[in-house]
Amino acid sequence: MSVDLIAVFFVAAGLAAAGAFAAVWRRDLTAALAGIPLMFAGAGVALVGIGRFAAAGGPHLFGQEFAVLLAIAATALVALGLGVSGREGSR
Amino acid sequence: MDSLHAIGFYASSGVSVAGALGVALLPRRDQRGVALAVVGLGLAGLYASLSAGFVALVALICYLGAAWLVATQQYRAVDNVAGTRWRQLGAVGAGGLLAVLAYSAFRGDFVHAVYYGGQFGATALSRLVFAHDTLATEAIAAMVVVALAGATAVWRVRERGR
Repeated sequence: MSVDLIAVFFVAAGLAAAGAFAAVWRRDLTAALAGIPLMFAGAGVALVGIGRFAAAGGPHLFGQEFAVLLAIAATALVALGLGVSGREGSR
Repeated sequence: MDSLHAIGFYASSGVSVAGALGVALLPRRDQRGVALAVVGLGLAGLYASLSAGFVALVALICYLGAAWLVATQQYRAVDNVAGTRWRQLGAVGAGGLLAVLAYSAFRGDFVHAVYYGGQFGATALSRLVFAHDTLATEAIAAMVVVALAGATAVWRVRERGR
């Protein structure tokens, strides 16, 4: 049993598509916000996989830097979106 | 990659995709928060099996934080103005996105592309942004933060006035 770049891309595609599905399918926009971290997770997995398998000879940090950035940005987007939506009973 | 890492990779990918489907389909907010936490756990396992331990740690912390934010009950619901038909069309579009991404992953030829324009990648980009153009990057980042905070404050004040 082995893992190659195509398997990593399949997982990344599944995560990104599930995130897009969550973002468009939920009727509540604050629930749809949870799809954004999923799409970012798919992108992060693809980036780390490219750094691990495709960047031959280069450092593996190529994609890992962007994956860290994406994880932090995803959390920040969820926090910002929920903050904009407001607390229950605030008006 | 040895068999142990491969087993970890496939198990973690199953956990993360199952959690992602839970985020999309589970009805209650706390259930979706738990599903997002499951995605974070699976994602950390994926990164760890791809020899990216630090990314795994950061992703675990970030996704657990996002899951806590999603699961908490104190945020009010905002109804989507799009009708059922548009949501169904969007779901079909998500299925099409999966098909396109899976096809491009199966082809995978672009992995062997060669770029002749000099060094290109995250390291080169970060060297440019964080070393050569540090001041400009800081100025833009400060401007974006101030604009987002200001827009949020204005929106909240306007909503409160209604």
